[in-house]
Amino acid sequence: MKEEIEKIKENSIKEMENSQDLKTLNDVRVKYLGKKGELTLVLRGMGKLSPEERPVIGSLVNEVRDELNSLLEKKEKELNSKELQKKLETENIDVTEPSKKIALGSLHPITQIIEEVEEIFLGMGYEIADGPEVEKAIYNFDKLNTPPDHPARDVQDTFYITDDIVLRSQTSPVQARVMETKKPPIKIICPGAVYRSDSVDATHSPVFHQIEGLVVDKHISMTDLKGTLEMFAKKCLGENTKIRFRPHHFPFTEPSAEADVSCFVCGGKGCKVCKGEGWIELLGCGMVHPNVFKNCGIDPDEYTGFAFGFGVERIAMAKFGIEDMRLLFENDARFLKQF
Amino acid sequence: MKASVEWLKEYSDIDVDCEKLGDILTMTGSKVEEIIEKGNDIKNVVVGKILEIKKHPNADKLVVTKVDVGTEKIQIVTGAKNIKENDIVPIAKDGAELPGGKKIVKSPLRGVDSCGMMCSVGELGLDIKDYPDQIEDGIMILPESYEKDLGKDIVDVLNLREDIIDFEITPNRPDCLSIEGLGRETAASLGKEFKNPRKNLDELKVEDKKEIEGLKVDITAPDLCYRYIARVVKNVKIGPSPEWMVRRLKACGVRSINNIVDITNYVMLELGQPMHAFDINSIEGKHITVRRAKNGEKITTLDGQERELNEDNLVIADEKKAVAIAGVMGGQNSEIEEDTKTVVFESAVFYGGSVRKTAKKVGLRTEASSRYEKGLSSENAIRAINRAVELVVELGAGEEVEGKVDVYPTKQKINKIKLDVDRINELLGTNISREEMIDILEKLDIKVENGFAIAPYFRMDLEFVADIAEEIARFYGYDKLDTTLIKAATTLGVRTKEQKIEKKIEDVLVNNGLSEIYTYGFVGEKDLEKSKIRESLIENAIEITNPLSDEYKLMRPTTIPSMMQILALNNNRKNQNVKLFDISRNYRNINGEVEKGEVPLQENILTIGMYGDDVDFYTLKGLIENVLEASNVNHYDIVKEKENSSYHPGRCANIKVGLDVIATIGEVHPEVLMNYDINKRCYLAELNISKVVKYSKQNKKYQEVPKFPAVERDIAIIVDEDVEVGAIEQAIVKKSKRLLKGKKGLEEIKLFDIYRDEKLGEGKKSIAYSLIFRDKTKSLSDDEVNPVMEEITKELEEKFGATLRK
Repeated sequence: MKEEIEKIKENSIKEMENSQDLKTLNDVRVKYLGKKGELTLVLRGMGKLSPEERPVIGSLVNEVRDELNSLLEKKEKELNSKELQKKLETENIDVTEPSKKIALGSLHPITQIIEEVEEIFLGMGYEIADGPEVEKAIYNFDKLNTPPDHPARDVQDTFYITDDIVLRSQTSPVQARVMETKKPPIKIICPGAVYRSDSVDATHSPVFHQIEGLVVDKHISMTDLKGTLEMFAKKCLGENTKIRFRPHHFPFTEPSAEADVSCFVCGGKGCKVCKGEGWIELLGCGMVHPNVFKNCGIDPDEYTGFAFGFGVERIAMAKFGIEDMRLLFENDARFLKQF
Repeated sequence: MKASVEWLKEYSDIDVDCEKLGDILTMTGSKVEEIIEKGNDIKNVVVGKILEIKKHPNADKLVVTKVDVGTEKIQIVTGAKNIKENDIVPIAKDGAELPGGKKIVKSPLRGVDSCGMMCSVGELGLDIKDYPDQIEDGIMILPESYEKDLGKDIVDVLNLREDIIDFEITPNRPDCLSIEGLGRETAASLGKEFKNPRKNLDELKVEDKKEIEGLKVDITAPDLCYRYIARVVKNVKIGPSPEWMVRRLKACGVRSINNIVDITNYVMLELGQPMHAFDINSIEGKHITVRRAKNGEKITTLDGQERELNEDNLVIADEKKAVAIAGVMGGQNSEIEEDTKTVVFESAVFYGGSVRKTAKKVGLRTEASSRYEKGLSSENAIRAINRAVELVVELGAGEEVEGKVDVYPTKQKINKIKLDVDRINELLGTNISREEMIDILEKLDIKVENGFAIAPYFRMDLEFVADIAEEIARFYGYDKLDTTLIKAATTLGVRTKEQKIEKKIEDVLVNNGLSEIYTYGFVGEKDLEKSKIRESLIENAIEITNPLSDEYKLMRPTTIPSMMQILALNNNRKNQNVKLFDISRNYRNINGEVEKGEVPLQENILTIGMYGDDVDFYTLKGLIENVLEASNVNHYDIVKEKENSSYHPGRCANIKVGLDVIATIGEVHPEVLMNYDINKRCYLAELNISKVVKYSKQNKKYQEVPKFPAVERDIAIIVDEDVEVGAIEQAIVKKSKRLLKGKKGLEEIKLFDIYRDEKLGEGKKSIAYSLIFRDKTKSLSDDEVNPVMEEITKELEEKFGATLRK
């Protein structure tokens, strides 16, 4: 009996080792360990053995069966991995073939700049405000300390619908509207289209876009304005950007300033974009004029505030290297896809 | 405003170079536009004397000369005709530079060495009009007296060096449109003493008279003329002005005419007050009246142009006619002539708004009008006229007549502003002491008395504490201001619902391959016609009174024409598969808001425009469905639209929430395509974002994922072509709802095939749906579903004449 078992073991191991695929291996398993397998049959025939022999043979058969099972498992793993390997080899592809995708579209450069600026100011707690483009002259001018005889109201600068209705020449009327309806603290930016009576050329467009900001609260100072704009310039134009204030004049702010930033193209060394000066005139700003506060129902003795504003196209052009403003409004698909 | 640095030095010591001076003044608010350093562009050009002129051996038109340039004698070949031996001429030596960047190098001319060049007036960058005794196309011949200067730099000899700074002066500072004002700023900016060379004018007293030399003055429009002063000089000798005056005028961009006219211009540049001079004999009745013009009144101005006026314009008139347009330009009829003997000087102050309007109406913006329109000081006017008389005497151009006629109906108000140190520091974010503030203000002639800052007469712009704060900040230094962050109540920086939805829509469209465009809000009548915009909308268009052109005349009542233009441009440029979107506004004057002075309707509109092989109506529909899903608009109907004239009548739909149309989508009408020369099908959608926001509801609730299996059934029916699948679908849903209640129901209905074939019969189509039924509480049995399917089939047969396809 013992020899028979040894023989079975020997044969089955040999056959296992010779198996080249999973099917052959399975056949081997069935042949020796299956319900009618040779080793199983030995177990079944144990009844014929003497009571003394039974446990000995029994444990021997179990031993062999365990050994064979573990060998089988090992062999199975081996064959499995071999087969997978073979499959993987046949499934080789050329990864440089074209992809399958819906090509992405694009946001216009003007939107990209506006949204970048919006994100920065949202992060600083500003809301985004909006207002009409066909606007009352009183909001576009009078409330902003620009009375009827002011040169800014000339028809050569502003499009008129009637004497009282204009195409807004700045986004500032939104500020006036917000101040009239909301109590301080006010922190807003107003991006939007504005209209000026300029003919279309490489640097002018009768429609362009501005972003203005307004903060009104108690104790707002000019150094706050400078700090806010510096933070904005660093986030928008690069951490190394420097800001410079120069005195200027606007009817709706006092004191007023023009702010230059160190050229974000050349870093201040002087280049084509900054006309060799190292500085780029970025925006106009200042402390809200007391008359503007009065006109909008805010007490200038109690509150102070600052305002700033700049043109979006100029920044977009400098940032994306666009030299002709007309490209922005021509909308050639080959231009748009680049952004 | 151009200022000569030499002239500024009369007001302040200047110990920095031009560039530095420009930087400093820019930082205190007088922005430098340009620095012109005259003479710097001429290098190595000297005075020379022609010793000898000989024929050129190889060229008839050239001569060979020998020239003494002081240090040596050189040979120069030239083609000049106007030279002779012993002439003194400017010589550009080997290595010289001339204006415009021209360089002179020693080189042979037709085989003979030429070691330099003789220069013409033009080659030295000079104006022939300033050198009337020279000829334009010949060498500049210098007077014999210059022989003593042989070899000396021509720039020094002709005194060509001049530093000029051109300032951009903001409209609140008309006082800086003068050398005196800029001189004051210069002194304050450099920390030097303001020398005030015209101090005598402040103390001068001139007696008031009713008339001088028979001249009387009346103002009949005191709302437009605040002060009018006349003074007279007699025994005038009209002639040229002295060189120093001509030179200063020229540096500031003013041409010399004669001594009297030059004096008026000089005083304007010096003190910022425009002046005028009349010949007393041209003033009829010797009676000046400052009055409104009559409608249609005509005057020929000094430039020879006839100008028509109306009663909004102010004129200076004698008893018969207007002799000047107030603040703009004098009339030819009262011009100073060669033989003028008695001159009337005018120094007046007019209302700026009126001068500006008049200047614009007559199309003449002069040095005078651009000063007046900013508002001038009446107190400065008296200084100016006295200065003019002083100059006449100084130049020996005439004799002073004692006294003045001074009509001054409205005294200039002097502003006093409380010097609130705390308020100023709070506004600026600084910690500047009272003493330092007073120090700064006094440098600007702003006196502080009893805690009040007193605005000097020439600073009419100073009204509020904020104005004083600006003065202090300018000289404290804008660059010295700290950068601080706002210490204020926390505010929330969040986008509004509409802004969030707009951003989501952008994302959906970009992810679906659309590119965003930017269009103008303008359209022309033609564009509306080309796009077949319906009449009712065209009526809502808003007209611009001063448009740039006919194409930009209207504010668009719909965004369609803007999108069509862009599609046409791309098609014209052969761009394939173009998919675009635009989020912008339309403008509609619906109830005459504009006429009532109210703001008209301006809606935020998403416009989609597409063409290409990969798009059709259903691509567009899918896109809009995605947009609506992303915007959380969950319930809407898509209804066929046949009346919208811009769209193909068989391929257009409105998207409605209830009765409210929130979008229109469809194929562009073939006639519109033809009008835009587009040879392919285009698709358009207009979605009203404001309405989308109104119907957007974020009310998603978790639904349990089904545990029990569903029963899936397919049904294929044949119906007439004109039966809409939407109606069939609705009928199936409705029927299922009626038959299956509670936790049981039709979970999904999907159209998976539409099929047309001759065998089905003409005008027929076969439609196949897959239906999924489910009971959420148990496995649904066939016995429950079968009767439902039968009922559905029966309903479709009855309602749509459908036959079941086996």
